[in-house]
Amino acid sequence: MIELKKISKSFGRHRVLQDISLSVKTGEVVVILGPSGSGKTTLLRCVNYLEKPASGEIAVGDFKMDCAQAKRGDILRLRRKTAMVFQQYNLFRHKTALENVMEALLVVKKMPAAEARSRSVALLEKVGLGGKLDEYPSRLSGGQQQRVGIARALALEPEVILFDEPTSALDPELVGEVLEVIRDIAREGITMIVVTHEMGFARDVANRVVFMDGGVVVEEGTPDDVFQHPKEERTKQFLRRITPEANWVI
Amino acid sequence: MQLDPSFIWTAFWQILRAIPTTLSITAVSVLLGFAIGTVTALVRLYRVPVLSQMASAYVTFIRGTPMLTHLLLIYFGLPMLIDGLAESLGWSFRSVSIPMIGFAYISFSITAGAYMSEVVRAGMQAVDRGQVEAAHSVGMTSFQALRRISFPQALAAALPNLANSVIGMLHGSTLAFAVSVVDINAQAQIVASTNWKFFEAYLAAALIFWGLTVLIERAAALIEKRVGAYNRGGVA
Repeated sequence: MIELKKISKSFGRHRVLQDISLSVKTGEVVVILGPSGSGKTTLLRCVNYLEKPASGEIAVGDFKMDCAQAKRGDILRLRRKTAMVFQQYNLFRHKTALENVMEALLVVKKMPAAEARSRSVALLEKVGLGGKLDEYPSRLSGGQQQRVGIARALALEPEVILFDEPTSALDPELVGEVLEVIRDIAREGITMIVVTHEMGFARDVANRVVFMDGGVVVEEGTPDDVFQHPKEERTKQFLRRITPEANWVI
Repeated sequence: MQLDPSFIWTAFWQILRAIPTTLSITAVSVLLGFAIGTVTALVRLYRVPVLSQMASAYVTFIRGTPMLTHLLLIYFGLPMLIDGLAESLGWSFRSVSIPMIGFAYISFSITAGAYMSEVVRAGMQAVDRGQVEAAHSVGMTSFQALRRISFPQALAAALPNLANSVIGMLHGSTLAFAVSVVDINAQAQIVASTNWKFFEAYLAAALIFWGLTVLIERAAALIEKRVGAYNRGGVA
């Protein structure tokens, strides 16, 4: 269970997040939608402290921290309970696919190498890359790199995986393979918060959709609620703009 | 005066014995300089208060003054410092027991440190910030992220420039003659002093320097190829 309470964050004088609260149940898949600049990526990055919130509270499982007085130890504990899949994959470029997945197990969890290895191999097989264990990221396609990124995030068995526009940097024909993997993980009941522009995918995997704009949550509900019967004018505008051709919108 | 080709050969063999001196000055200054440079670069990159200002001052002063000047400052300044300290603290150690080559080691390490800090800094900046974020996101500490993720890649990126630094220090080590250290160049002068065939002797010295430089270049190319293997792209 993830609980964000009154998270605020400013870049200079611009308030990116204004007292945002959000709670995600264990096993739930929450998709965050919103126009660019709405603060959705910043919110996601706050959850594993890649951005430091000015104030607010973050609780993950039995761990709770007050952002205003976060200590280094708190930040590490929070990060070890969360994992992030990045828009630009951010694989360690000097390490093979296998080493990328093993790295945190060895360094953070201090797991014995043999165990880390077998676990990482299993994860890479799960994302369909059993044949690419020893390839460096520079020899993998974007879709393959992102699947390694997902395996890396799964390796630590985090309480929640945060997806930051995981398919935005991909060639259109590679989007499908990555979404398929994410869909599989979602079915296994792993808690996920996903920022995406893939509306069909959002509708498909989300238990709940959160629409953000201007640093606040404008509207949230089931995918049907938000996509078919949006209540707020801003949500309607956004959906109309982003999917003018889709017949299921409004 | 006529060129004496056979003396080039004679001088060549006699100069060879100075190679260990030249190489030891080069090796010490490169290794210590790399350590100094790495610390300096990291202190500046992480903006450590006070230390980073000191590091910047060190880099601009050293890069703004000639290497020969560093050697002379150390040669004349260090004994004053050491003897003054020794006297007030009651040590029996005196600066006269420092071998001449010691001054070259110390001053050239300081020189190399300033130049190499810029090389390391550029290398660190070549590693994209996203990988450090990824390391943090899986729970690594900043030190783990540095040691395991950014620094190895920074080194790989910096290799060509590091090789240049090594070559620079090899050639710069000739300045050690100023404190009576007999390196390759000084040895050439000694060899020629009996018969005044300086051109032949210096030509032999040049050939030796060239050979050493080519060896360094080859070694660097080999290391680069091995270390940079992860960068050779296939698909993406």
